[in-house]
Amino acid sequence: MNKKPKILIVDDEKGLRLGTKRLLESEGYYVETAENGTIGIQLGTKKDFDIAVIDLKMPDIDGTAVLKAIKEAKPNTVCFIATAYASYDSAVESTRLGAYSYIPKPFTPDEFIHEIEKGYKQRLLILEAEKLKQEREERMLELANEKSRLNTIIESITSGVLVVNSTGEIVYYNHAALNKLDIEEISLGEYILDKLPDEITESVNKYLKSDQVIYNSYTVEVELKTHRELFVDVTCSPVVHPDGSLAGVVIVIKNITEFKKIELLKSQFVSMVAHELKTPIAAVQGFLKIILDDQLNIDREKQKEYLQRSTVRLEGLLTLVNDLLDISRMEIKSKKRDIEELDVKEIFDSTLQFLEIEIKKKGIIVELNIEEEIPPLKADQNEITRLLTNILSNAIKYNKSNGTINIEVQTNNNYFLIDIADTGIGLTPEEKEKLFLEFYRAKNENTRNVSGTGLGLTIVKRIIDSYHGKITVDSTYGEGTIFKIQLPK
Amino acid sequence: MKLNEKVKKILLVDDDIDLLEQNKMLIESKGFEVVTAESGSEGYEMFKKELPDAAIIDLIMEQHDSGFVLCHRIKRTEHGKITPVYILTSATYETGFKFSASTDEEKDWIKCDGILHKPVVIEEMLSKLDNFFKE
Repeated sequence: MNKKPKILIVDDEKGLRLGTKRLLESEGYYVETAENGTIGIQLGTKKDFDIAVIDLKMPDIDGTAVLKAIKEAKPNTVCFIATAYASYDSAVESTRLGAYSYIPKPFTPDEFIHEIEKGYKQRLLILEAEKLKQEREERMLELANEKSRLNTIIESITSGVLVVNSTGEIVYYNHAALNKLDIEEISLGEYILDKLPDEITESVNKYLKSDQVIYNSYTVEVELKTHRELFVDVTCSPVVHPDGSLAGVVIVIKNITEFKKIELLKSQFVSMVAHELKTPIAAVQGFLKIILDDQLNIDREKQKEYLQRSTVRLEGLLTLVNDLLDISRMEIKSKKRDIEELDVKEIFDSTLQFLEIEIKKKGIIVELNIEEEIPPLKADQNEITRLLTNILSNAIKYNKSNGTINIEVQTNNNYFLIDIADTGIGLTPEEKEKLFLEFYRAKNENTRNVSGTGLGLTIVKRIIDSYHGKITVDSTYGEGTIFKIQLPK
Repeated sequence: MKLNEKVKKILLVDDDIDLLEQNKMLIESKGFEVVTAESGSEGYEMFKKELPDAAIIDLIMEQHDSGFVLCHRIKRTEHGKITPVYILTSATYETGFKFSASTDEEKDWIKCDGILHKPVVIEEMLSKLDNFFKE
């Protein structure tokens, strides 16, 4: 015995108390004694004894009262009633109160030890049963916790989750699924397949109606005709019993509306690009056909003119292709940008120099005012040059002859503030709104002879956005336009 | 063309001056008279002034739907009611702008008599005109 069984002897007879104590201790028990009922109750209700042996007749309190008190406080203590006055009634009463057995006095040491051993076995059984019960309760609790954890996890997923069993009844769902499918109410165990969109039912039925278990997942894209525009991607996967038979199907519904919108934007962009590319090609093709057409028989002078005009269209086409490449490069470039400290004055000077021929051709006067001791601009030189070139070349193209371009560069605590004002044709409010859209070009009698790809300001906007800067435009139709740019310091 | 037959007058509207000139030259070479305009508003004025026998209008000019708008305006005039109007465009199914004028429903909102696709095949354009004039 690694832990001594603890015995309490409650008896008013001193000789018996000491005798049994010695006897039990020699057998390896730990023994405490109480000389009357009051002390017996005190000890027996406070400490956790394995066994209590209680004398029935004591001067202060009756043994049955002691038994009752101990049993109430420590129901697992195995209690014996010992008495010289054995009676049928007291035996019944003691058993009713929870005594394990009855030891009639006088008893031999062997009889006594035998009873105590029996009692101790009983005590071990009780403890074992208690332990099992406790373990079971803990497991139940854990299981409940596990279930609620799983619930929390699945509820927190933004995708909808539905689980149906092999007969098409719902066995699990989260609210994201109800929301996406626009189902107001379902209850577990309900047949669900007729409430689902046809495409999903069809996918689920592939599993439910197949003779053999299908182990693959199926994904379908579905446009849900609910109260709003909603595209979802629905993946069905089988749930298989340990014996290999089909238990049910898990349906995961993912919202892909945003992705679809981007896809649509992309395809619209491709359409516009295709249109913009086809137009100059058609023009060049038309000229070549006319030149080659023997029946038309146009003169050399006209032929030359048409070839020149074709060249201009091809140059425009090349610029367009370069702009498109710039845009696509910008989309992947943001991470490997070459940031350096740029001298603001130098970068304006070199850009204006690059545009000098066009400036002179239109007789435009450029005024450049840069704040004194301006700090360097930390940016990619190619990008900033591109940005300024695009804005300034618009300021030239859309300016009137002998107009002016006024450039002011200042800083505040956080930004470089660059204002570029021209005295050009200006923008109507409607034109202003569309200015940064891809391929948008203000078209009216004033712009008829201005060439361009319609991508210049798109590129400008993308560069500025990539630096977390800002661009706004002020314009009065017929008078001029100011672009106000903020670039972070 | 018989001598006593009046030379048919065609209005061409396109903001791309290269294409406008090319088509003008090609149609003229087939014995038509051609008048041109470079925008929707100019096209409308020209139509009212010249009262052409047919009009061929580019779709995308100042706006993406300038051609349709001009077509509507022409069809509302007295002369427009008896004049065939064709929309000329490079917007096709492949480029994602999906429309045609083949069904009655489409003809109801696209008031034109037909759609010609760029790069235009001049023979196609002329055969459409011929068919119309024969009727």
